Formats: sequence, structure tokens, C-alpha cells
Amino acid sequence: MTCRDMDGVINSRSRDSALPPEASEHIGRCERCREVMRVLIEGPEIRQPSESGVRLIHGSLLRDLRPVRPLAPSSVFLAGFAISFLAVAVVGSIQLHAYGWNVLSVSAKIVVFASLALGAGALALSMARQMRPGSKYSVSPNLLPAGVLLLVAVAMMAVFHSREEKAFVSSGLRCLSSGLKYVIPGAVLTWLWLRRGAAQSPKLMGATIGGFAGLIGVTVLEVHCPNLNLYHILVWHLGVLLLSALGGLALGAAVGVVGKWRHYRSESSYRLRPAR
Amino acid sequence: MQPDAVHPDLGALVPRGHPAEHLMALYQQADASAAAALVDLLSPQLYRFFASQMGSTNEAEDMLQEVWLRIHRVRHTYRPGEPVLPWVYAIAHRVRIDNYRKRNRISSREVGTDVLPELQVQNDQRTDLPPFDEMVATLPESQREVLVMLKVNGLSIEEIACATATTPGAVKQKAHRAYERLRSLLKSATPKQTEPKGVAQ
Repeated sequence: MTCRDMDGVINSRSRDSALPPEASEHIGRCERCREVMRVLIEGPEIRQPSESGVRLIHGSLLRDLRPVRPLAPSSVFLAGFAISFLAVAVVGSIQLHAYGWNVLSVSAKIVVFASLALGAGALALSMARQMRPGSKYSVSPNLLPAGVLLLVAVAMMAVFHSREEKAFVSSGLRCLSSGLKYVIPGAVLTWLWLRRGAAQSPKLMGATIGGFAGLIGVTVLEVHCPNLNLYHILVWHLGVLLLSALGGLALGAAVGVVGKWRHYRSESSYRLRPAR
Repeated sequence: MQPDAVHPDLGALVPRGHPAEHLMALYQQADASAAAALVDLLSPQLYRFFASQMGSTNEAEDMLQEVWLRIHRVRHTYRPGEPVLPWVYAIAHRVRIDNYRKRNRISSREVGTDVLPELQVQNDQRTDLPPFDEMVATLPESQREVLVMLKVNGLSIEEIACATATTPGAVKQKAHRAYERLRSLLKSATPKQTEPKGVAQ
């Protein structure tokens, strides 16, 4: 057994549990692991909160105690996000016309729209989990928006190739503004579903909502835009996704600051009130 | 986030396992005695979670009040029947981060007027190994939190991953780095007086 193997033993060991024989043998000859075990098992000195502090908490909670309805299951929110996504994407595609859809081959349609659906599904799942503190994650929610951007970029690179394009900037800006036009209603509809949740990091939730709404904009553009130039798609179509995720991050940060300010203002009276 | 009427089927969903889960479900139904019992049950371990990381009992008391305010405000997001500790510690984790940032903001605007006393760990007259709090205080913030949740609060790797919105693999990595750092610190702190003190990283 090595010191690295001992980490697993230390992780799972409590004050009362016995050591496995291999771990005991390792401890016998490794002084560093022995000392780490000793310090961690002994732990800190036992401290207790003051009685007056706990009484104050009792008084405050009981003063404002009303029944609440637990949050609906995640499946309800996932269905809501899917409806929001499809509603805005369908309306956008009808308004802008499906020129892009008509020029894509069947295999290109499958790769492009499957990657968009996969990305949207992953972000929707992340949002549903962020609504509830202490949810389980298989992928870190901090990395997910960037991961989705990368996934969609790779899918686009697999399908499209570089082509000559004369009005790269002017046609690109038209696509960017068209895409961003559908990001805002997508984000608002998504937020309507999320508002009952308790996201612990408004910045992260903002970036995730922004990424999700950005994918709605990209979907509308992929249905509408007949330009098959890879660089046009990477810069201007995925630019919608990037800008909306960054916008969401900034908005989330602002919401977090305002929320804390409001919270501390309303809370200041709480700290001064004695328990009843 | 307005609290709504009580769920009619909640009685059927009253959880098993940790007593806090049952109390939490009753607290959602506005049961005053369950709310008080939950505060009494969880406050000591939440207090230790904050005190072990902040080193100040006053700050830990403030953070304990803060975490209960937040728990009260978002109590509808707890799903009856699910483990309550990851839910509570996710809120405590955010309180700790907010407090840490607030503390950094304040300290960046303060101007020192006097020389601060040296930390106890650097006292040359010590011959014994440093205690838990002093060792943990030398760790980076995120490693310290994982170690405190693991060894002070008794949470499992999976529960810590849920509480800190990350994956079990990332938690194990942080714990491993923390143990490596502690091993280095203990090596330099063992009573070989000739060895230099400090972090051997």
C-alpha cells in the first residue's frame, strides 16, 4: 500500500472504525501517514454555538413560519425548458424562413441539430439541478457552458468547410443580430421556470441560462441561414452562443450583488431582535 | 420565490434515514417544534463547519445565523425523502464563500497600523506537533473546506460533491492535495529542530 492508497482509507475512516490490515502495516512504517492520521482523527476541539445565538435563530424562524409547497420534480422543469426552447425556435424559424434547412444534407442536419439538442439537454439538466441546492452532478456545472460551446463547435467543424465569402462581416453581423433577437425571449421564458428555485451561484446560473438561450438563437440561425462557410458559422453563429453566455454571466453577477444588498438590508433588523 | 400552500401528499413522502430528513419535511409543513428541533440538531455541526475554517467564533456565530436565514428562505427547495445534509451544506458552502469574499473586500481596504503577532505554529518553543486547526488553517480555502466536511462534519465524498456542486472525482483530488500538503507540513514540523520550517511544497 502506498501513501496515495492511504488517502482513500483516510477519506472513509472515522474515529471509531478499525483500520484494514494493509493500512495498519503502512502506518507502521510511514511516519508521515501516521501523523496525518493522528491529527485528522483527533480533529479540532469540540466547540458549541452560544445558547443566545441559537435562541435568536429559533425566534426568527418561528416568527415567520408558514407551510411551503416543495419544488416540483426536475422532470417538470425539464419539460418546461424543452417547451420554451421549441416554442422560440419554431417561431424564429417561421419568421425568418427555413432557407438553411433546405440546403443542408440529411447527415449534416443530423449532426448539427443533434449536437444542438445534446447541448441544450445538458444545460437544461444543469439548470434543473442548480435550482435545488445539494444536487448531484456528473459533470461540473462550472465547465458545462464552455463544454457545450466546444461540442457545438466540433460538430460544425465536422460538417462545414471553409468557402470563399465576400461580405463576411456585413452578412455575419446580420446573422448575429438575428440570432440575438431570439435569445432574449428564450432567456425570459426559461427564467420564468427557474424563478422558484434557489440557485446558489447566480453567476453560474446566469451563464447556464445564457448558454441555453444562446443555443435557441443558434438553432434559429441554422434553420434560417443558407451560408455554409465554416468560418461564418464559427464566428457569427457560435458568437450568438458565446455572447449570450457571457451576457448571462454578467447579468447573474449583477443579480447576485443586488440580491445580497437587499438581503443584508432586510436582515439587519433580524440580528437586533431578541428571541421570543 | 413565494412559499405556497402545503403539498397534500407530503405525509406519504415523510423520509426515512437521518432524523433531520423527517424534521425538515415537518418544518416545510410549518411544524414549530420540528423547526426548533432541526435548529438544535444541525446548529452545532454547522457552527463547527464555520469555526474550523474561519478561526473566529464571532464570525462563526454570524455565519450560523446567516445560514439559517437562507435555509428558511429556500426551505421549499428541499425535496422530502432526499438526504438533507448535502442540501444544508450546499447553503452553508455558499454562505462561507460570500463571507470569505466580504472578508477579503474589507481587508483589502484596511490599512495595518501595527505589527501583528506571529502565528502559534511558528513559535520556536513548540516541541509538540501542531493541532488540527493550525494545520488546516495553512491549507488553501477549497481544500480546507473539503477536509473540514470530511473529518469534522463526517460527510461522505458523494455528499461533499453534492454540497459543493462538483463531482466526487474533484473532491477526492482536493482531499488528496490536502493530505499531501499536511504530510509536507508535518514532516517539517516533526521535532527535528535543524530542519527549516514552512510549507515544503
